[in-house]
Formats: sequence, structure tokens, C-alpha cells
Amino acid sequence: MKSKRFSTLKILVGLFLCVSVLFPLILLITHIQPEDFAKVASSAQFWPMIGNSLLATTISMLISVTLALGLAWCVNRSRIRYKSVFSVLFTLPMLIPSISHGMGLVLLFGDNGILTNLLGINIHLYGLVGIVIGSVLYSFPVAFLMLTDIFRYEDYTVYEAAQVLGLSKWQQFVTITLPNLKAPLISIIFATFTLIFTDYGVPLIVGGKMMTIPVYMYREVIGLLDFSKGAILGLLLLIPAVIAFVIDLRSEDNGNVSTVTKPYQIGPNKRRDGLAYLLCIGTVVLVSLPLIAFAYLSFVRQYPIDMSLSLHNIKKAFTLGVDMYLVNSLAIALATSVLGTAVSYFTAFLTARSHRTFSNMTLHLISMVSLAVPGIVLGLSYVLFFKGTFIYGTIMILILVNIIHFFASPYLLAYNSLCKFNENLEDVSTTLGISRIRMLLDVYLPCTQATIVEMFSYFFVNCMVTISAVSFLANFKNMPLALLIPQFDSQSLIEATAFISILILLVNGLLKISVFFIKRQLQKQEA
Amino acid sequence: MEILNSNLKLIVKDLYKNFDGKDVLNHISFDVKPGEFLSVLGPSGCGKTTLLRILIGLEKQNSGEIILEGKEISNLSPEKRGMGIVFQNYALFPNMTVLGNVEYALKLHQETAGDAREIAKRTLDLIGMSDQLDKKPKQLSGGQQQRVAIARTLALNPNIILLDEPISALDVSMREVMKRELKDIQKKFQATMIFITHEQEEAFYLSDRIMIMSEGNIEQLDTPRNIYDHPANDYVRDFVVAHLDQKYESLLKCTGRIDHEK
Repeated sequence: MKSKRFSTLKILVGLFLCVSVLFPLILLITHIQPEDFAKVASSAQFWPMIGNSLLATTISMLISVTLALGLAWCVNRSRIRYKSVFSVLFTLPMLIPSISHGMGLVLLFGDNGILTNLLGINIHLYGLVGIVIGSVLYSFPVAFLMLTDIFRYEDYTVYEAAQVLGLSKWQQFVTITLPNLKAPLISIIFATFTLIFTDYGVPLIVGGKMMTIPVYMYREVIGLLDFSKGAILGLLLLIPAVIAFVIDLRSEDNGNVSTVTKPYQIGPNKRRDGLAYLLCIGTVVLVSLPLIAFAYLSFVRQYPIDMSLSLHNIKKAFTLGVDMYLVNSLAIALATSVLGTAVSYFTAFLTARSHRTFSNMTLHLISMVSLAVPGIVLGLSYVLFFKGTFIYGTIMILILVNIIHFFASPYLLAYNSLCKFNENLEDVSTTLGISRIRMLLDVYLPCTQATIVEMFSYFFVNCMVTISAVSFLANFKNMPLALLIPQFDSQSLIEATAFISILILLVNGLLKISVFFIKRQLQKQEA
Repeated sequence: MEILNSNLKLIVKDLYKNFDGKDVLNHISFDVKPGEFLSVLGPSGCGKTTLLRILIGLEKQNSGEIILEGKEISNLSPEKRGMGIVFQNYALFPNMTVLGNVEYALKLHQETAGDAREIAKRTLDLIGMSDQLDKKPKQLSGGQQQRVAIARTLALNPNIILLDEPISALDVSMREVMKRELKDIQKKFQATMIFITHEQEEAFYLSDRIMIMSEGNIEQLDTPRNIYDHPANDYVRDFVVAHLDQKYESLLKCTGRIDHEK
């Protein structure tokens, strides 16, 4: 009986994921009119747009990954101080929407930007330059986090062996470090490429005349309600994401997990450390400039005409409903975090703590599909699938789309944590007469509290900053705060957009600080 | 189904298991006497672990019967079979103390819920862990963890305890200690034990009888002395007898069984 009840739960989770992931995507594909293919491909904008997207994404990705590689190396392979402070500061850009990065650049380097006026240099932001700088700003922290993880788990004994053999530092880098990095680096390159390729926040603001696929898709769907064209463009956006997904799956199969017998030993080297300081401090300045600009502009009466400080813009923002949309955002983020964490954790419990049956493997695969679906594509598929249902137009659909959009990473966090438990625990508990639900409540949940906090925080922060999946689904009433940025921008309410960015940064910053203290408390309890 | 032959603890009749077209257990039959220590000895892949998993109900046989204390249990769920199992890698609940690990299942069973703590403490005392009650598993040595795992199983008072290579994960010095302790525990609790191993010496040291398996068949089932003196076939001679070292050979010759104390 107990196993029957368990199978029912499994079927329910499977059904939920089918309805919320697979069916909408299938419908999106079937929605495409074959004749529209030719129409889209033969339009004058089409090929230049693809070229633009590929060019801007490739340049941004190369800079982003190189910068992240340099920073990860600084933090893990030099003797600079304040490494943890640097690491936190590098990831600050993840706490604000991508569109804010675009706004930040406008405020700093636009034709009337603070730095443009201050230094008297115009970098001609709008176009390729703007897209590249903005894209690098919000994508390098993701690559940095992934690379740091790899550096951290490198085994030093191999390097010792190389030293004994008389290999120079450079030879060690070429023969050990690079080959070690190769597989994960390919996956990081594709992940970063996908992230930039599918984003419309930055190019919408600073793209100028340079049209990219996501911006075009956004305009076709939002402006012209052309869903068929939107679906075709969505398919285009899926291509790199699917490649990235397949590469990740394959590298997971290889399971190239090395055990660290000795952490990396860093010898003294003043020149190296000086270089590391330079790169780290430079990056921090780059990252914090837009944030400082947001903070500053929030209090300036009217930039650049009246530079006196006042609360005028903040008051104005509130009269325009910022408080209501902040409440929306908080409600969406909280509900998504609670429900998303619960569902993804339970799904991971099903797949990680049962035999590798076909149904479990399928569930595992569906759970990771969202990694391959850009938010803007998911959002469009939801419009097509849920239109006319009772949740359409309510806050519920925004919560649902966010749960699915950000499902894969928290799911994998839980999956990896749960896989680390002794493989015989289920067999032991079965023979002792302990039910699986009891095991979940009494053993797994108490042991994985830190993971659960991390999952919650991932959902929350991403809900606060996302504009992609929700943009087609939100309306005047249920709209989250981040979507006010493009709206205010189109009304030239620059100071108000700066204030919103700061507000989102504050909320996410507070959450991150709370998470830090909760996790430290949990570590203390464990010790 | 009631079986009259009551002087046998466990009867296994014509047990057959097929995995993906391969016969893992080839219609095997054997029995176990009350208080007996039976070792199942064979190389990996011989079917010994599958046998253990079928006995306790974690795996389902294709055909055959399992009769425990006169009652057929072939189709009962694991928790209703009245057997306990100890795994090689202990599988303790990582967030619970030593006492918590032993007490947990007792608390969930109606019959033992009231006395759970007392039973757990008594069992841990008998197994020599009464001074470690509040420690977490990761604060214990491998041998200590294994003792807690055994206590957790013993506390539920099972009819038979199945041991899946419980010594192999320990380091060499601990193995000798654990072997002796297992023997002591068995005597103290008068427990019937079925012990899975691929180590010839462990089997010859511990067992009342040894069942030698290869490729899903029983090659020989007899006392250590008889197996040593009269190996049933070339396989038993090559796999088992040839691998016992000189020290054990001489012990076996004078005692009929390998035992350090004698």
C-alpha cells in the first residue's frame, strides 16, 4: 500500500511537469505555420538580425569567459587578501535584472551619461559596444561561479608530480590546467553563449539600431501579437540552448569526478599578486559603477539639468505605483521560492533516492529541460497553452512560469545533495519498517537544510530580476517590479528606473545576507 | 502454510532468479538451523548478494519458497519477514546519534514504542557502545559504526540477521577485532546469522557451516572441516582450499574449525 501511495505521488509530479513544461513547448512548435517560415526567412531584417545576434553574442561570450577565467584564477591561484569579499562583489550583477545593466550603461556612457559628460568622451554606446559591455556585465558572474568551482577542486598532487619532472609553470598550465578545464569550459562557453544569445534586456535598451533575435521576437509578440513568427524565432533561440543541454548531459554521463587528495598550494609571488589585485579591483570598479550611478540618480532631481539632491524621484516613483509592483514582486518571489523549492526537492527525492528505473530517468530528464528553454520562449509557450484558462492573467501563472523557468538548477542542487547519502539507506529503512516519507522527514530534510536554503535563495533572487519569462504573461495588475524598467524607460523616466534597480538590489542583497547568516548558523549546529 | 519440521529456522526451496535473461540463482535449496552461523562464500557475481536480497524481500524471486520458522514468507514485504540486515557500508542515519539510530525504528513500531529507549540502551550496552550514546556516526570509527548498525538490527529482535560483507569495508587491523566481536555478539544474542563474504578466511573463521556458490549454484554446503578435507569438486578446491594460508590450515587441522582462541 505504501509503495502504491508513493507511485501516485510520482505520477502526480510527472503530470505536473508534463502540463507545465512539455505540453506548452509541444504546442508552441505545432503553432508554427509552415508558410511563415519562408516569410520570416525572406524578410529583409532576418539575416542581418541573425548576424547581429551571433556577432554580439560571440564577442560578449569570449570577453565574459576570459574575464571570468582571469578572476577565478585570481581568487583561487594567487595570495591576494579579501578573496571572499571580492567573490561576493563579483556576483553583485546577478542581483539586478539584465535590463538594469543596459540602463546603467545609458546612465554612465549614454550621450548625456555621467561619465560621458565628466570625461568628455563619447564611446557611442548604442549598438554593438553597448550590447557587448552590458552582456559581459551580467553574464561573467555566472561563468565566474562555475569556474571557481572547478579551480577549487583541482588536485595539487598532479602539480607536485609535474614540479618533480621539472615542468615550468607555463608547461604545467598547458599540460594540466587546460586539459582539466577543457570539458567544463566547453559547457561554460555554451551556457554563457545561451544566456547572452537569449537575453533581450540589454539590447532592448542599448542596442540602438542593432536588432537581435530576442528583441525582434519581443517586439513581434508584444507589439504585433504575431505568435507564429514569435514561435519560429523562439525555435531559433532554442538551438544553442539545446546544444548546451546535450553537452551538459554528456559530460554528466562521463562523471569526471576527481577526488582531491591535496588542495592547491600557492607559493609567494608578488608580481602575480599585484596583477591579481589590479584585475580584481578593476572589475569591482566596473561592476559597482552602474550601481553607484543608480544610487546617485535616484536622489538627483532631474539629470542632467537639475543636479540637486532630493527625494523627488523616489516620491514620484511611488505615486506611479512602485510600491504596488514591489509587493507583486515579493509575493511572486516568495510563492515561487516556497512552492518551487518544495516541488523540485520532492522531485529530486524521487529520482535520487529510488532505483534507476525508466520512469525515474524520464522524470530526471524532464526536470532538467528548463535548462534548455530560454525564458522568453517558455513565456510565449505559456501564452499559447494557458490562454483562456482560469490562471491566465493572474499572479498564479507568473508563479508557475517562474517555478518552471528556474526549476533545473535548484533541482540539481537537491539531486546532488541527495545522491551523496549512503546508497543502502532505503534498503535498511525498508527492512526496519520505516516508510519513505518518514525517511524524507526525519533524515533527508534535516540533513539538507543548507541546500534547501540555497534553493530557496536561487528561486527568490531570480524571480526578482527576471523579465524574460514573465514579459508576455504579465498585465498591468500582476506585473512584477522589474518589468516597470522597460516601461519607465520608454516614458524617459530614467531616474525612476535607477531607483527600481536599487530597490531590487536592496531586496536581493538583504536576502543574500540573511542566507549567509542562516547557513553559518546551520554550520555551527552541525559542528 | 505450516511446516512440521520445526528444528529448522529457515528452509529455502528451489529458489530461482533470472535477471535480463541471465540465471542469477539456479534453483537452489538449503536450510539454516536455529543459532547457526552460515556463511555464503563466493566471488563477486556468483549470486550471493541477490540471494540475500531475495531472502529479506528487497528483490523478488522468479520461483521458489522461503520458509521461516515454519511460515512461508516468500511473498511478504521486507518489514513483515522478521529478518534484519546489516550492510557493508553501515548505512546509519547521519543526523541521528548512536542512541537515535537504534531507537528510531523501535519508536515507529507499536509493540516497542513505549520501551524504545530502554531496548536501544540495553542492546547498545550488550554490544559495548554504551559510552558513545550521544555521538553522531561521523564521530565514530568504521568498526564502531558497524557495531551500531548491528545493534540497530538486533534491537528489533529479528529471527535471522543477514550480514552483507560487513567486515570488508574495515581496515585490516579492525577486521580481526570485528571478526571476534561478531562471534561474541552471535553467542550473546544466540542469533541465527547468514553471512555473505568473498573472503575465504572470514568464512572459515566464523562459520558453523559454509555454503560455497558459483554462478548461481551451490557448489558445496558443509562444515569448514569437511570442506577443507573433502572439497566437493575442483572449483571448491581451487577457489577455497588453495587460498587459505598455512597458519589457518594448521589451525583447521587441529580444531576442525579455524578459531584464534583455541
